[in-house]
Amino acid sequence: MRGPFSILRGTALAVALAIPLSGALAQAQTTPGTIPRQADGKPDFSGVWQTLSEADYDLEPHAGRRDAPPSAGVVDGSALPYRPEALAQKKANFDKRGEDDPRLKCWTLGVPRSVYYPAPFQIFQHPEELTLVHQLGHQVRTIFTDGSLHPEHLEEGYWLGDSRGHWEGDTLVVDVNHFNGETWFDRAGAYHGEALHVVEKWAFVDANTVSYSATVEDPDVYTRPWTVSVLLNRRRDPGFELIEDYCFTLPYEPHYPHKDVTP
Amino acid sequence: MNRIRKVPLLAALLSAWAGSATAQAPAQQPPAQGTPTFSSRWSPTVPVIQSGEWLGKRLPDGQPDVQGHWSNTISNHSNFTDPQGGAPGERSRQAGLPREQRAPSRVSDPADGQVPYLPEARALQQEFASNFANPTEERYIEPLARCAPAGVPKSFYWHGYEIKQYPGYVLLLFNSGTRIIRLDGKPHLASDIKLWNGDSRGHWEGNTLVVEVANNNGKALFGRTGDFMSENATVQERFIFDNDGQHYNLVATFTDPTAYSRPWTATIPARRYTEADKPDGWHYEVVASNRPGQPLHYEQPERICIENNGPFGGGAVGVPVHARVIDR
Repeated sequence: MRGPFSILRGTALAVALAIPLSGALAQAQTTPGTIPRQADGKPDFSGVWQTLSEADYDLEPHAGRRDAPPSAGVVDGSALPYRPEALAQKKANFDKRGEDDPRLKCWTLGVPRSVYYPAPFQIFQHPEELTLVHQLGHQVRTIFTDGSLHPEHLEEGYWLGDSRGHWEGDTLVVDVNHFNGETWFDRAGAYHGEALHVVEKWAFVDANTVSYSATVEDPDVYTRPWTVSVLLNRRRDPGFELIEDYCFTLPYEPHYPHKDVTP
Repeated sequence: MNRIRKVPLLAALLSAWAGSATAQAPAQQPPAQGTPTFSSRWSPTVPVIQSGEWLGKRLPDGQPDVQGHWSNTISNHSNFTDPQGGAPGERSRQAGLPREQRAPSRVSDPADGQVPYLPEARALQQEFASNFANPTEERYIEPLARCAPAGVPKSFYWHGYEIKQYPGYVLLLFNSGTRIIRLDGKPHLASDIKLWNGDSRGHWEGNTLVVEVANNNGKALFGRTGDFMSENATVQERFIFDNDGQHYNLVATFTDPTAYSRPWTATIPARRYTEADKPDGWHYEVVASNRPGQPLHYEQPERICIENNGPFGGGAVGVPVHARVIDR
């Protein structure tokens, strides 16, 4: 593997290995009863969440550059395990990231990117399902926790996949499939195809912090599954609330209502 | 990587219903109102539902439980004041009937069923209506055809939708757009923040959810007739739920000194959809959950008009789906 990331791989390995460890320690320190819970006793993730991580800029270890702050990386192992032909596509994506990143059109970000994109999202939780409303584009994902299975057939893949969750102790485990191939994982061009399969794990570290990980599997693009891990922080700024952000309307909204303008 | 390949499929299905694409593609008319399916899809009458006590079931936080799937009973957004009369330049079959045989105007006050526009605003609305069928300017394209949020009040007569409730919130999940109605009594956002769906603050009065909508950007329009409010409008919505649990009327009062000579009121009836109803691709766009051995349960697929991003009028009307839109 050649590329701008290879120099950093040694350091990255150590750092990346440390991340899941610290996450596990933090989870172990959680004492029952200190986290919000639903009436049925399951953890209650209701609220507004946002990552402080640099994951969306580049999942892999990287030095600071014009369009990304530095990061030790948020994936296990070192670089993402691309197949050779997929690595070429990734590099092409990276070179054209200033134009080709779907986020630049305010398009729905997919999973797991919608979770670690640096904008808030709000979880509304019922025992039967969690509804995630993301500020960017007001994209909505439903995670069903009613025991239902993935649909046996969908005519079209979903932008955010089909999410079916279950509880393993206090951890919400979500299996996500039926994706389309339209989204990227980060601003650096990490990508996937329609074979994408994601397993998310959501668990409280404390009442205001959630440990989030997503194990990503796509044999068409990657040689093995890999895992991204970030923390999600509750937005506790006084009076903070989600504000609609239908940014995909920006190209045409100046014409309304009944405005004779040349944007 | 082929990011735009898939935009059109469900979008095309939607536009077949939407009919706003008729400007570009006359073959994609909605099922003409008056075809044999008409009577099963739309009703010509508006029920009377009084504000009063709520006798139905409640949620643990005390809110009346009105969760579920709902859809309007009158017509889509083709025509605001003659809902079953067809879009401008696209008369429905009902348009030939005596007026009283079609659903009444959504404008329930004033009694003449007309929006009391100031002259300049009326001229803008009429200019849009007269250009709708053959738009020559961007502003003549109904914004829902570009997958813009349907806004207030159009969301309530554009496909079925879900109401979900949580302590402190009522969540409205539309085919095009999402509204978070906050019940915490906090003030609206700063007035210079203008939004497609406005900023909604609500409270319950018996069987009625009262929502004050400020911060409107006025951009969504009310439908293909070009009716609208300005960015100075406020809306009070009263969702009056029948104690039968199966119906509600949205009674919305629009106040806007920029566009109207006086406040006016719209009434938009809706009914509940449950597993007893068949999914129909418009009012009730659900699929059966995959739950072997369990009773039939319907769930909502991913809401495609928002989430397929590419506005479905886009290719035809020049929305730049390839260019970057944001720098963040």
